[in-house]
Amino acid sequence: MVLYVTAKTKDGKVFFKDQRIYMPIPLQFGIGDKMGRGPYEKSGILRDTSLPPLRTVTEKFYIPVYNESMKEGKLARDIIANDFTVEVELWYLPYGKKEDEGNSQLWQKVTKNLSIEKGGK
Amino acid sequence: MRFLKLLFVVLLVLVPLSVFGAQGDVMKKAKTIDELAKMYDSGSCKDCHAEIYTEWSKSLHARSIFGPAEVGRTAATIKTTIENGLKDWPSSGVKDPKDVGIKHLMICAKCHLPQLIEAEDSVAQEIVKNLYAFKEPEDQAAQNLQKLNIGCTVCHQRNAIVHKWKFGNPDKGAVYGSKDGEHASPDFPKMKKSPYMKEAILCGQCHGQGPNFDLDEPTQCATLYGSYNFAYRPEGGTENCQECHMKKSKLGHNMQSYRAMGPMAVDMKVEAMAYQWRDVVTTTPAASVQVDLFNKAGHAIPDG
Repeated sequence: MVLYVTAKTKDGKVFFKDQRIYMPIPLQFGIGDKMGRGPYEKSGILRDTSLPPLRTVTEKFYIPVYNESMKEGKLARDIIANDFTVEVELWYLPYGKKEDEGNSQLWQKVTKNLSIEKGGK
Repeated sequence: MRFLKLLFVVLLVLVPLSVFGAQGDVMKKAKTIDELAKMYDSGSCKDCHAEIYTEWSKSLHARSIFGPAEVGRTAATIKTTIENGLKDWPSSGVKDPKDVGIKHLMICAKCHLPQLIEAEDSVAQEIVKNLYAFKEPEDQAAQNLQKLNIGCTVCHQRNAIVHKWKFGNPDKGAVYGSKDGEHASPDFPKMKKSPYMKEAILCGQCHGQGPNFDLDEPTQCATLYGSYNFAYRPEGGTENCQECHMKKSKLGHNMQSYRAMGPMAVDMKVEAMAYQWRDVVTTTPAASVQVDLFNKAGHAIPDG
C-alpha cells in the first residue's frame, strides 16, 4: 500500500510529491538480507511497515511552496502559488504500481484547497 | 471339505476387500480435473442453499487456484512458482513443467486447493498444462482451472474439524455447521455442529501464520492469522474473521479480501494548512499536512 501526497497549482502543475510505503517485507528463504517476492521463496519477515491493527499511524509532510534563489546576495523564496491543492491518496498496489488495471485500487482520497495570503510584510 | 473350499473362496474375496477398504482414500484418488471437481462439487448444495451458493460463486474461494476473475493472478503466481522456484531448485526434482507432480503443487495447494492431495499426478499435470495455456480469462484453460475451488465441502466438511484427536476426523457423511440434525442430501445425510465454524481458527488453517513448516519446501503466502493472534488480539481486538468478512461486510459467503474490504478497513483523516514563516529578511510560504491512518481490521494491512 502506498500513501501519495501531491501538491498542485490551480492549472495542474505538480510542485510537490511524496509517498509512504506500507508492507511487510518478507525474507527470502528466511536467511540473509534479501526480500523474497513470490510465496514460493518467502519465509519470515525482514522488516514490516504495514499498518498495524487497531493503531493509528500518523504521517507528517512539509510542503515548500516556493522556488529558492539568490537575489542581491540574499536568499529569496518566491511563492509558487497563493492558491493550490493538496491531494492525499491511499492506494492498494499488490504489484507496486498504479498502472496495473485489475490489481491496483484507490482506497481513500482527500483533497484540500489551501491559500496563502497575498500582500503584507 | 466342500465347506472348507467355500470358506477359502469367501476369504479370498473378503480379505482383499478389507485391505482396500482400509486404503479407501487411495482407491478414490482423482485422475482428472473433472473427477476431482466432482468429488468436491458444490452444485448439489445450490438446490437448497441458492443464495449462499450465489454469494460464494462471486468469492475468491470459488476460483482459488485461478484468482480474481479479471486477471487470474493466482494462476500466474503458481506458474511463476514452477518457473522461478521448482525448476530452479536443484533438489525439487523438477527440470521441466512435465516433472511437476502433486507434491510440488501442494506447496501452493495446501491452502489454494487442499483436496488436491486426493488426486494423482495426472491431475497435477493437467493443472500445469492449463496454467501454461492460460492467456486470457475467457480461455478454456482459465475455465478449466476455475472448476477447482474451495467449495462448500472444503470448509463445511473436509476442514471443518481442526483438532482431530479431540473431536475426531470429519464424518464423511456429514456437513458441518452450527447445529446437529438431518440433512436432505444423499451424499451428506447428516448435519453436525462444528465447534470451529464461527471461530477465526477455521479460517486460520489457510490464512496463515507465516512459513508453512510442515512442508519440505516451506512457502509463505497469507500471514493473517498470525497477525490476528499476535497483533490484533494483544491490542484488545475481540472480533473474528467471520464477523467482519461475512457479517459486517454483508457479503455473507462472498468472502473478499483487499479489493472489497480495504476501503472499509482503513480510516484516513487529513489535516492541512498553509502559512508563511518569516525570519529577518526571508518569507517562507509553506504548507503542512498530517495524515492519520487507522486500521480497523483484525490484522495488519497488507499481509504477506
